[in-house]
Amino acid sequence: MVFVPWGVSKVSSQLSPEDYHGDNSGMRSLGRCVIIVLVAASGLVPAAGQPPADPNQERDFLSRVRRLTIEGKRAGEGYWSPDGTRLVFQSEREPGNPFYQIYTLDLETGDAKRISPGVGKTTCAFFRPNSDEILFSSTHADPKSKQYQDDELTFRASGKERRYSWDYDPEMDIWAFSEKTGALKALTTAKGYDAEASYSPDGQWVAFSSMRDAYGRALSPVEQKMLEENPSYFGEIYIMRADGSGQKRLTTEPGYDGGPFFTPDGSRIVWRRFDERGLIADVWTMKPDGADARKITDFGSMSWAPYAHPSGEYFIFASNKLGFENFELFIVDTQGVKEPVRVTYSDGFDGLPVPSPDGTELAWTSSRAGGSAGQLFLARWNHEKAREALKNAPPRRPAKPS
Amino acid sequence: MKRTLVAALVAVATVQTVYPQAPAPAASKARAHVEALASERYEGRLAGSAGERLAADYIVGELQRIGARPLPGQRDFRLPFEFTAGTRDGGSTIEVIGSGASGPRRFAARPDVQALSFSDNGNVTGPVVFAGYGIVVPESQEFGYDSYATLDVKDKVVLVLRYFPEDADPKTRGVLARYADLRYKAMAARQRGARAMLVVTGPSSPNAGETIPMSFDTALAGSGIVAASISARVSEPLFAAAGQTLALAQKALDSGNPHAAGFAIPDASVAVGTVVVREKQSAANIAGYLPATTAVSALNKPWVALGAHYDHLGRGTHGNSLADKADAGKVHFGADDNASGTAAVLAAGEALAAQPRRRHVMLEFWSGEELGLIGSSHFVNAPAVPLDQLAAYINFDMVGRMQDNKLTVQATGTSPVWGRLLEQANIAAGFELLVQQDPYQPTDVASFNQAGIPSLNFFTGTHTDYHRPSDTADKIEYEDLDRIVAFAVAIVRRLGDTEEAPPFTKVDQQTQSGGGRAGVRVFTGTIPDYSTEVKGLLLSGVIGGGPAEQAGLQKGDVIVEIAGQTIANIYDYTYALEVLKIGEPVKVVYLRSGERKETTLTPGARK
Repeated sequence: MVFVPWGVSKVSSQLSPEDYHGDNSGMRSLGRCVIIVLVAASGLVPAAGQPPADPNQERDFLSRVRRLTIEGKRAGEGYWSPDGTRLVFQSEREPGNPFYQIYTLDLETGDAKRISPGVGKTTCAFFRPNSDEILFSSTHADPKSKQYQDDELTFRASGKERRYSWDYDPEMDIWAFSEKTGALKALTTAKGYDAEASYSPDGQWVAFSSMRDAYGRALSPVEQKMLEENPSYFGEIYIMRADGSGQKRLTTEPGYDGGPFFTPDGSRIVWRRFDERGLIADVWTMKPDGADARKITDFGSMSWAPYAHPSGEYFIFASNKLGFENFELFIVDTQGVKEPVRVTYSDGFDGLPVPSPDGTELAWTSSRAGGSAGQLFLARWNHEKAREALKNAPPRRPAKPS
Repeated sequence: MKRTLVAALVAVATVQTVYPQAPAPAASKARAHVEALASERYEGRLAGSAGERLAADYIVGELQRIGARPLPGQRDFRLPFEFTAGTRDGGSTIEVIGSGASGPRRFAARPDVQALSFSDNGNVTGPVVFAGYGIVVPESQEFGYDSYATLDVKDKVVLVLRYFPEDADPKTRGVLARYADLRYKAMAARQRGARAMLVVTGPSSPNAGETIPMSFDTALAGSGIVAASISARVSEPLFAAAGQTLALAQKALDSGNPHAAGFAIPDASVAVGTVVVREKQSAANIAGYLPATTAVSALNKPWVALGAHYDHLGRGTHGNSLADKADAGKVHFGADDNASGTAAVLAAGEALAAQPRRRHVMLEFWSGEELGLIGSSHFVNAPAVPLDQLAAYINFDMVGRMQDNKLTVQATGTSPVWGRLLEQANIAAGFELLVQQDPYQPTDVASFNQAGIPSLNFFTGTHTDYHRPSDTADKIEYEDLDRIVAFAVAIVRRLGDTEEAPPFTKVDQQTQSGGGRAGVRVFTGTIPDYSTEVKGLLLSGVIGGGPAEQAGLQKGDVIVEIAGQTIANIYDYTYALEVLKIGEPVKVVYLRSGERKETTLTPGARK
């Protein structure tokens, strides 16, 4: 059962979770981003249903909701510049290219500017603090990337539709773009998907996710099958210096580890870990050397895309706790002592939350405007309300064993 | 906003310039305009009325005040046009001749014979052919239903039943309903050579045996055929001549069986004379412009236009009011619809008058919108400025009731530049924009789309005061209205400064084809929310005391299934309604706060 949180095509958006049963295409993900999950025919679907009498509502946390992106089929993953005046995001709006490219959005003029090469697929950008660099992942160096574009355009022109998916292109590498010179340099070159990268607060380190473990060694028949059906199974967290040197693996558990971000003081990395089957994900933290890994949520659902509030007091993340297709934003204290608190209350997809550097605003990706694809949204963030709600939250309840 | 059939059912080059943030607005100019236009003095601004003329005077005064000029070649801001304000029967008659001993029988009273509003005026005498429901489904639909398949009606008078087969399965009814519109039936009869069409309503249909009230019909084009409705009484001797009755003839057809045929009526003929009196009235669009502040010679399309309709329903006497019985005949103030849009254009014009302009800015105010986009259609058909000079048109219709910061922008499919322009302008404006590509909207933007002009329409959503006397100025969200004005001004400035005019893209019409619509006979009392795209039909309210309210439905519910038909959008809902039966309870499945619920709704009759 494949589910695409925000990239739902017109067709798939009309499917109920049951329609995905028997589809064996496995868990997929879009960068740190969109997760598409297989639920086997045995059917492990996170329990739907409304929680009892919720004391909060969306406007308690988010006010003056505004839509940032309009052009193009879909957009998402907006990350703030350190000075809070711009966002870098991915959007399907390049003429002749049906895949994401990377753009900066000036929040004063409203002008969007492409910074990626325009060719191939890209994803997961991030501003480097104290620098003119922006990193992102791209396949533009693959000679076949233009062919893939044309194939996709031909497919779309045929009028057919299919579920939006992300293919973990093994040619995806992480690049650093200089806004001053326009130069682009590769930070990774390994075979296998390298993406979901972010800088440390001092701009000296990069945490990222890679599926390189699937290459360069003999795979067992079971592993070989996983690579064909569900390559993200091989996703692990890595760290490297900002120049790409000193690449080091931090996680070894089977199942997809991805979406790492540093906490505001740089002392820890927060990321999401899927179980082996790719059905359940939870928020984890660890030290930047991989030590002291701790599970922060035990939410019995797909909980992912965690990002720390600049206060360092809590993480904001997305989960489908309330219904398989209904991703909402939640907050949880950084120690995972309390039960997570719901933040958004809108139909469709809400995910990929990123607070502004001053903590007063939140950028996130949502399909709340209708239609099928996600777009970037921005709202005022009520930090005091978030603190209060966490204070009043009950202690963490262990998820029921599946 | 015009109450469309749907409404009636329910009752790129990057601009590099850096734009400063919109300056803090002074006291709301828009507010004064809304409060004036939606006051008693203008009596609901019905096209052709004294109230409309007074409202026009107000707008002209404001245009003069902000320094706008009449359009080039015009002496006045007023651009008058004529329209049909109503139709009435001026003395239609019918005589049944022959058929046994009864002798000629002549009928001249309205309960027995009444011209259809689109009928030609004329006298026709001839033999009669009963053509069943008179429905022809085009071959392209691959359905196979032609009431005329076995009949020769050339130079004869065709007698057809109103509506469509009453007992057919829902799918068949759904198809046939789309081709059961009286105009479409008249066209089918004419195309087969008939000289006149008579319509009778069978005993198993609503309004059984009655003639059809002459509807308000502003679409003037005559149907090219004499067409009248007759009472069951008039039809009796005709059916008798064929050894039939109206009831039996209808019963034979009501299963929807495509092989059930009509028949020629032997030994009888009719003489029918129709007199339709169309009352012409005069109304006026208002248009002025702010000349560009620099030479426009380098620009291939040196105009941009802002527009809104300023007419409304008067006292709601033209069949498009949703007023409760208790409020019937009261002034419909139309504060949101569309004093708000009129105010927005005036306020945007005033702001633009104080700024440099690379393009001429046309400010247009339409009349006759509520009667069928008459004013704007008239303008695009006989434009005071050649339309190939017009870079873009921006319309405002119902922009005074913003909720939760949500602004709907429609018709964005008309040009590829809109996404980028809206995105840029909204960074400063900060709306939660809902973007709809479809330009086939029930407002004047449709006229400009039809004319191939890149267009936008701004809309803040419908509400329970829509088309009722309770749409008053005190309910307008003025702060948000001012923000919409600032947003529009920013877009016009960006448009104005772009060298290349936006290219036009034709958007395919989502629905339907063919002939027309049966019109909906049932009344459910639901008010759809047009501004939010959800899977299903989101209700922005229900009419008090209506079937929907009685079924327990309320604002915010999303109808996903009715009478076993799944509802993905308003069009599905329309089709589903067409085949409901009055008084026959149906199951409605809806979502409330995400929870799936069921209820039973009993449709009432719409006359």
